[in-house]
Amino acid sequence: MKNRPNLFTDYRKESSIFPNNTQKFWFAVLILVSCTFPFFLSSYWKLLVTTSLLTAIACWGLNIVSGLAGQINLAHGVFVGIGTYVSAIIGGVATSSVIGYELDMIIWLPLSGLAAAFVGILISPVSARLKGLNLGLVTLALVFIGSHFFSNLKFITGGAGLGRKAASLKFLGQDLEAGLQIGNVLLEKNDIIYYFSLFLCIVMGLGVKNLTRSKIGRAFSAIRDRDIAAEALGINLFKFKMYAFALASFYAGIAGSLLFTIAGGVEPGTFNLLYSIIFIAIVIIGGAGTVLGPLYGAFFFTTLPGIIQAVLHATGLSDTGFFLNAGEIERIVFGFFIIFFLIFEPRGLWGIWFRLRNYFKAWPFSY
Amino acid sequence: MITFLQATFEGLSLGAVYSLVAIGFVLIYKATDVLSFAQPALVVVGAGLISALAVDRGVPFWIAFIVGILLTGIIGLVMERTFLRPMVGEPVFSVAILTIGIDILLRTVLNNWIGLNPRYLGDPFQSFGNFGSVNVGGVTLKYLEIAALFTGVIIIILLSVFFKRSKYGVAMMATSYDQEAALAQGINVGRIFGLVWLISGVLAGFAGFFITGGFNTLTQASFLSALRVLPAVAIGGLDSIPGAVIGSLIIGLTQGYVAYYQLMLEGVIGFSLGSGFSLIAPYLIMFFILIFKPDGLFGTKEVERV
Repeated sequence: MKNRPNLFTDYRKESSIFPNNTQKFWFAVLILVSCTFPFFLSSYWKLLVTTSLLTAIACWGLNIVSGLAGQINLAHGVFVGIGTYVSAIIGGVATSSVIGYELDMIIWLPLSGLAAAFVGILISPVSARLKGLNLGLVTLALVFIGSHFFSNLKFITGGAGLGRKAASLKFLGQDLEAGLQIGNVLLEKNDIIYYFSLFLCIVMGLGVKNLTRSKIGRAFSAIRDRDIAAEALGINLFKFKMYAFALASFYAGIAGSLLFTIAGGVEPGTFNLLYSIIFIAIVIIGGAGTVLGPLYGAFFFTTLPGIIQAVLHATGLSDTGFFLNAGEIERIVFGFFIIFFLIFEPRGLWGIWFRLRNYFKAWPFSY
Repeated sequence: MITFLQATFEGLSLGAVYSLVAIGFVLIYKATDVLSFAQPALVVVGAGLISALAVDRGVPFWIAFIVGILLTGIIGLVMERTFLRPMVGEPVFSVAILTIGIDILLRTVLNNWIGLNPRYLGDPFQSFGNFGSVNVGGVTLKYLEIAALFTGVIIIILLSVFFKRSKYGVAMMATSYDQEAALAQGINVGRIFGLVWLISGVLAGFAGFFITGGFNTLTQASFLSALRVLPAVAIGGLDSIPGAVIGSLIIGLTQGYVAYYQLMLEGVIGFSLGSGFSLIAPYLIMFFILIFKPDGLFGTKEVERV
């Protein structure tokens, strides 16, 4: 049996997280390599990787509700925003205009996720009743209602155009804002955020993987494939759609709570329609319904500005005064990627990876 | 009372403009099963084209107006031919996201062109009468809004005649009922798809002019007013043309009334609704209507079989 990694003798083995030793090995290597990143990456790339990890967490959330359970959610950015502001209230510093309680990270990190999940449950009477495009339109309404709240609740968000500081890092009584000294190694604030993100990313990623293997995950796929058939099989649509929204919002909240601690501040205008669309696009580009897809998509999207800058410099376009600036080119490229992935590779980057892997597995034969 | 009439008039004219775009939405959805999120961007593209021709190039306004609107229609047609034709038969959700991609493309280029300063459309409406408005018994009627109301009504009448009487109109109706049956009857469904997008583009162009014309001006935020058509379509029901018109009127009137009565309303309920509330009121209305009627007010309930 040992030499036949694809031969499974029972269901438990086939549905395990890492079905063979190769995957276990490479997963361990990946984690070890990721742990050494802060020691040799430049601060710019460290920032990008951290953002990618946190974006991936948020995208996993959207993947649960859209990719696994098949419910359109155009308002994912709003839940990220809720997570951000709950963490900013509990963990942030109070000023004359905004409130903040400067509590420990161990309190605000789970609470921001739970608060977002609570809002997700709160809207579930609406979201569970609707499906398809009407659900998409209602979540679109949520984006605008959310932005309205964000820009008008000035004592929480600081108001449009001004913003406020994000939560400050204090873990188990230890103030991490100035960095942490372990033996001879000094970890800066951004390194600490990186390790937190990495840890959360691994935990949340395994969480999604486990979800797909569980009863709830199977119910989600049943709802996605044919909701009426799922209902006929005894799946309570309302309950499981509510679970999907709650879980997705929880992921969004957790990601949001840390996402803006890197930059240090957040402005309510950030959470606009485009911000929510970005998450959808990442899930589509990465590969909807897969566990690794959103991770690929998040890294792809977050490193896109860096790549575009490099290309612009290499071709000299940035100097000759091209009529679009770098940010606009980024958005155009992004729009084209959404279109082309949907037309040519609906399974996204994960699909490309899947086919490459299978090609080389059987190489030099076609199958 | 005068405030009420004023709000009603502004709401109605806004509703008429919205209904043009909303009809485009519904046509596309009925004929091709696509919910086009790119439609609001097309609205702004229409306004942009008119402004570019009339103000930047110095073309006489009426020629620029007609050419701009036709060009918008052609852009709609090209969009269908290039990006959406390969997606026929794909899940509705994927196609809807694809139109978001198109929307990002159009808006990025357009926002770059618009820049930071508001752009005028070069229309003569602002020079008529007293700064483009006439006073009737204390109610200020803007010529642009009167024109919008009339154009909206005329276009809706023309369209309904087109659908009932003309060969292509009937073919379009047949296609929206059943694509395969229409195909079997010898209707060129591909051509109908193109025609639908052309008409929706033209309607978007008209709406673009009336949303941004006169002193309203074309800015990067014009897109958001065009986007308010989405709640109108959702309220009316995605597949009902009368629903689209009525939904648009509801949205237009809501926006008009809230803009004028927000202060009074805040006084009654005792807390502030926040600035710009009239702009999100349409979304709130949509939210509540969809809770009680998930298919919209006039949408047909989809019969599903396992």
